[in-house]
Amino acid sequence: MNPNHNPQSSDGGRHDDDAALTEFLASLMDYTPTIPDELVEHYLAKSGFQSPDLRLTRLVAVATQKFVAEVAGDALQHCKARQATIPKDKRDRQQKDKRLVLTMEDLTKALHDV
Amino acid sequence: MGFTYPTNGNPNRRTIDHGGVGGRASSDEFGRAVSRIAVAQICESAGFNGVKNSAIEALSDVTIRYLIDLGKIAEFYANLAGRSQCSVFDLILGLEDLEQVKGFIGSGQSQCLLGSGTVRDLMRFVNCGDEVPFAQPIPNFPVIRQRKVIPSFLQMGEAPPSKHIPPWLPALPDPHTYIHTPMWDERTSDPREDKVEQARQRRKAERSLLSLQKRLLLCSGSVETRNTTSNVVVLSGGGASLRQGEGEGGDKNPYLKAPVDNKDVSPVPLPGKLSDDVDMIANHVSVLEAFAPAIEMMRSSGVLCEDDGMQGRTGWKKAYPRVLGYEESEEGCFTNSGLGW
Repeated sequence: MNPNHNPQSSDGGRHDDDAALTEFLASLMDYTPTIPDELVEHYLAKSGFQSPDLRLTRLVAVATQKFVAEVAGDALQHCKARQATIPKDKRDRQQKDKRLVLTMEDLTKALHDV
Repeated sequence: MGFTYPTNGNPNRRTIDHGGVGGRASSDEFGRAVSRIAVAQICESAGFNGVKNSAIEALSDVTIRYLIDLGKIAEFYANLAGRSQCSVFDLILGLEDLEQVKGFIGSGQSQCLLGSGTVRDLMRFVNCGDEVPFAQPIPNFPVIRQRKVIPSFLQMGEAPPSKHIPPWLPALPDPHTYIHTPMWDERTSDPREDKVEQARQRRKAERSLLSLQKRLLLCSGSVETRNTTSNVVVLSGGGASLRQGEGEGGDKNPYLKAPVDNKDVSPVPLPGKLSDDVDMIANHVSVLEAFAPAIEMMRSSGVLCEDDGMQGRTGWKKAYPRVLGYEESEEGCFTNSGLGW
């Protein structure tokens, strides 16, 4: 029973996941990632990745975008944290708060955690 | 957009090449530039107001490395499975590999790939995040340039010069491109033709010179003839007008007054030189009749400048007697053509 049961459940689960994935890949075609397709295709071709399917390139683009967004988010956190710790009078701090600039310092800290 | 690139004080920073060679763009420049733009857009969507140049370059470099690494790992997994073309599963495995550093999100390795945490995370990212398309349209790159191919021996229709060269190889260049043969300037010299040409040019020059001289003579001749005729006319009529002027000179114009008060002056005969030709005198009487009013006008205007005339034409005074000299000097004024006698 158990061996029969497990494949069924796993089959069902796989089916759901499969459906979800296909749905996701289909939705990718509607979504335009920030990183353009041509750039992704160029660098994938450089590394030997062969795929005639556009969905896979979109998947790679989205994954890279997620990665960069995460790094940028971490850097932003570091930047805000740094601004909070610097003791300045109200006027200066308000001015600085408006300008959130990505610096090498914050970037190295963010990339270090990756 | 509100997104600025502070260049950290050095405006030329961006032109400095990564390869170290100043000014020359590497083959990857375009890809790097595109990734820089994409990364800047992602940073903006993350919440940054500005970005440092060095930071954006580093992050774009990291992005490119990520892309290449992901492709390499996916390709590795595909090759491991005995395939040359990658599938979605290879990609997912590759993504998990890269995520390994952070730690497994959903422990993807143990269960089915389709339910891996990575994929779910990705799905969540796509569904929740705002869609930010790329800023500019990009052409398909790298652009493959059609290289001009040298045709082979067969295509040229030539036979290769020696047996060891197969005919399907590109043809050899034409001999004139690499062999220099001296060229002499072949010009047939015809001495007769040259002499004829020379004579023709000389004649042309002589003709133009002659025509110039003729024109000059004509000008001076015309002036001379004009002078002689007018002189003769006035000379012959001078006496008559002088007599006429005596009568009316007093009331109109003090200048028109007769210079000599003595009314007993007898008419002076013309000098022998000018009165040689009786016919000329006879002819000129008719001319005098025709031009009498014009002569009167000329005389009156000539009298006005009598002082100049007397001073300027001293030569006449020498040649002719005093009375006549006065008349001549009168007309000397109005026959002053600029050419000396």
